[in-house]
Amino acid sequence: MRLALAIGTFLILVIHGVVFYNQFFHRWERNQTAYFDQARTMAKTDAERSALADRKPAIEQIVVSNFGETRVDRCTTCHIASDDPRFATYAHPLKTHPYSLELGDTQKNGKWERRHKFAEFGCTVCHDGQGRGLEPKYSHGEDEYWPEPLLGYTTQENWRKDFAPKLKGKEYLEANCAQCHTESSFKGTPTVARGRQLFFDSNCYGCHRIQGLSEGTIGPDLTEVGRKWKIDYLWARIADPKSVLATSIMPKFNLNDADIKALVVFLKSRKGRNFAETEIDRFKVKLTGGEPVNAGPKPVDIKPAEMVKQGEKLVADRACAACHKVGDKDGGIAPDLSFEGLLKGEDWLLEHFKNPRATMPDSIMPAFRFTETEFKAMTAYLGGLKTAPALTTPEATYKALCLRCHGEKGDGEGPIAQHLDPYPRDLTKSGFMNSKSTERLISSIRNGVPGTSMSAWGKVVDEARAKALLDYIQATFTKEPRRELKAREIPEKNPVPMSAESMTRGEATFVNRCAGCHGRKGDGKGGNALDILPRPRNLRNGAFVDSVNDRRLFESILYGVQGTAMPPWVDYGLSTNEVGDLVNFIRGINQKPKGGQHAGAN
Amino acid sequence: MSPNKTSQPSLWKSLVELPRNVWGSIFRNPLPSNDLERSATSFTNFFLHIHPVKVHKHSLRPWYTLGLGLISFFLFVILVVTGILLMFYYVPSTTQAYDRMLDLRGTVAFGMFLRNMHRWSAHGMVAVVFMHMCRVFFTGSYKKPREFNWVLGVILFLLTLFMSFTGYLLPWDQLAFWAITVGTAIAGYAPVIGKDIQFLLMGGTSVGQEALLRFYVLHVAVLPAILTLFIAFHFWRIRKDGGLSRPAEADAIPTLEFPEASTNLEPRRTYGVQGLVRGPLHAAGKVPDNTVFSWPNLFRAELFVFVVTVSAILILALLFNAPLEEPVNVMHPPNPAKAPWYFLGLQEMVSYSAFWGGIGVPGLFVFLLFITPYIDRGTEGVGRWFARERLLANTIFLTFVIVNIVFVIIGTFFRGPNWTFVTPW
Repeated sequence: MRLALAIGTFLILVIHGVVFYNQFFHRWERNQTAYFDQARTMAKTDAERSALADRKPAIEQIVVSNFGETRVDRCTTCHIASDDPRFATYAHPLKTHPYSLELGDTQKNGKWERRHKFAEFGCTVCHDGQGRGLEPKYSHGEDEYWPEPLLGYTTQENWRKDFAPKLKGKEYLEANCAQCHTESSFKGTPTVARGRQLFFDSNCYGCHRIQGLSEGTIGPDLTEVGRKWKIDYLWARIADPKSVLATSIMPKFNLNDADIKALVVFLKSRKGRNFAETEIDRFKVKLTGGEPVNAGPKPVDIKPAEMVKQGEKLVADRACAACHKVGDKDGGIAPDLSFEGLLKGEDWLLEHFKNPRATMPDSIMPAFRFTETEFKAMTAYLGGLKTAPALTTPEATYKALCLRCHGEKGDGEGPIAQHLDPYPRDLTKSGFMNSKSTERLISSIRNGVPGTSMSAWGKVVDEARAKALLDYIQATFTKEPRRELKAREIPEKNPVPMSAESMTRGEATFVNRCAGCHGRKGDGKGGNALDILPRPRNLRNGAFVDSVNDRRLFESILYGVQGTAMPPWVDYGLSTNEVGDLVNFIRGINQKPKGGQHAGAN
Repeated sequence: MSPNKTSQPSLWKSLVELPRNVWGSIFRNPLPSNDLERSATSFTNFFLHIHPVKVHKHSLRPWYTLGLGLISFFLFVILVVTGILLMFYYVPSTTQAYDRMLDLRGTVAFGMFLRNMHRWSAHGMVAVVFMHMCRVFFTGSYKKPREFNWVLGVILFLLTLFMSFTGYLLPWDQLAFWAITVGTAIAGYAPVIGKDIQFLLMGGTSVGQEALLRFYVLHVAVLPAILTLFIAFHFWRIRKDGGLSRPAEADAIPTLEFPEASTNLEPRRTYGVQGLVRGPLHAAGKVPDNTVFSWPNLFRAELFVFVVTVSAILILALLFNAPLEEPVNVMHPPNPAKAPWYFLGLQEMVSYSAFWGGIGVPGLFVFLLFITPYIDRGTEGVGRWFARERLLANTIFLTFVIVNIVFVIIGTFFRGPNWTFVTPW
């Protein structure tokens, strides 16, 4: 017992020794002592010598309050010679911070004068890192939890090994220069400028919003992205989006390392703040909506003689294939454009370019900023793609044309289906397939369904091929044999004449009976819509509503749509006249204002 | 020596004797060399008089108590000392707390070491208090007359958990913020008053400045005061309940055959107040004595436990740094956000059912703990580990303990993003 006690107390003594040693013999103290020793040998005058004699190792700190939250920078505790020009050739940490004309430093009588004085700016405003730390591991931000490791110098251990080496270099520091030097033409931040240009040239702005620059809504808002994430995350998110988030729908862009670096630096500079402005300046900007930022994609001068060629180059350069399929490049998000000239007319293409939702009200395609002539050039190029793919068997036809949306199993779960609205039809639902006439199904194939992603395939598949394709679908996916269609009493034309009173009556019925699923606005987003597959039809889709005749509207309302949640309303007591009012209401909300677009397009 | 001289000692002599006189006035007794002095040492010293003068040999067996109660107490002492030192540097403000942590880690003398000691002692105390409870159960020590001290012990266990939980928020980093967000959310699952308790704890609908201040005040003032009071109560009850539990056969049974002469009710000996303990008075001094003097036997054992505890904490504090994660980012929860480890069993159960996992089962468990000594009234098997007579009770309790530990292990190591099952290797 006594021996154990003795050992225990001795152990405690030893640990105290270690702790005290660590406490009183810091690395920074050794650095400072080395500095003082060196400085003494360099001292030339008595005044210098006596000033040095009084100095003892102590924690040095700069309190910076001019740039956002107050910072306490103790970096000069180790980097004690950073402002002493005699140490320019020494190794870190006893090295002079370089002077350079690029940083705005000036030389007078052989003496350098700093533009950014350390006493005023501190260190972390430019370099990041943890100003309060005194251990290199912590102050340089090497520990994985520190959100701001030294920009371009420190990589953290948990960063991806293949990316980490690319995240070093002083270009990254530009992100912090841009916190004050916000003007896009500032000479000291070429990488930020390049990243900003790429943000437009690669069409990032179509999906992402950055306050004052872009208004995209599909991807996350990037206004403060630089404050939220470290550069390793930004790099990974651009270079390999799915590695960070498996459900990410961000396309993998065809960018080289220099491009990605420029984008990362640009994004890192987006911190949602501006040190150059005072609070009152920022408030003013908020009140006035801010000055328009002169940034955007670089316009291309289109020559009429080379329209098609320049259009092709634009489609390739501006990353259309990041989403669409064009030739052998496939972004896996949006429809195949390889033979667009056979499916769409040039008018449609141009209208769709300028405002994707004008022709397809629920398209997720952003409206990109191209000039009119650029749009025309791209239209000319896509409209000229008229080489039909080689189609042999109906199975090959299905795989070449239909599978991308309707899926391998025909269940409407194709690779790009989740990005389409409305969803592709589930061809395995026999209730739907067998309640529609063969003529109508073939018409859907050959003439398409306006206002949706179903194109008119008539120029690719002729009548006979379409019939064979339908038979293949029926046999492979629907599986149930076709039944004789019931003869139903359906008016060919709406018996109720169009009038304001009829529309009002129709609206009342609609709000009572239809709004639960189709929504009060008729946009297909009613309270029940989320529980229903396929989703309720968007009745403000003017292109679609205009393409169906009265007979079909009457049929769907009176007798329901089999294989969907639409019930036969004749069973719930709707009379033909009431349905007539409804049809008038639906047609009414899709009427085109004079000389303008569909009402549903807004 | 003449009386005159003794009444007026010379100043010189006073000065020479000063150190010895000061020492003697503080420690009234010299190092004891006989039984009388050993008794006197125990009951004239403020810090020792809480101990009995003599202690039963059975209570000194190291493998009986494992020193767990003492370890808990010493950890508490370490926590109070390090905690007070940390208080000099800490500011319970959402804008300053994290910076203060960085200062503790980087610039404050011994700051990191103090924080490490405080952190590991806190985790250790939760674990040791739980083990102490298991020891008391498996030796059947909660039985009459110690029922109420068991109840006090359960209260102390809950206070320890709450103490550790409130301290968890103070660093104001991501780990703290989300652990407390999860922890208080579990409290919110309680029926009827759950949301009110959650609101009262957080001072709002989310963890923020008010929550930080409340947790701070609870952690440094309210809970330590209550905990100290209950520890004192717990210790006092140990003395009044007749010392630590021991098997009946450890005490010699005094003969009940009275000699003729004793029928006259005149006591043969007179007793001081100390003599008024349970048991036949006249037997004192006659039965075989199984006790030994506390000095030095008990005190040496306690010192040993203290040295072991302090060494362990010092080594841990030297080797492992207390975690400090990113500053709080309310918009960016880690996935998964985990409660402190001792609540991960709860969180694991909550992932199956919010009410039953967070409130129902643990509430039932605590209730069972409280009423155990009043349900299990048998007197068999006290004072022995895993006594055969207590097979049923021990098995039930062991099952609870193992299930809890398994849940904590699953929650700690086997749960990944979205609380899906992952393997830690």
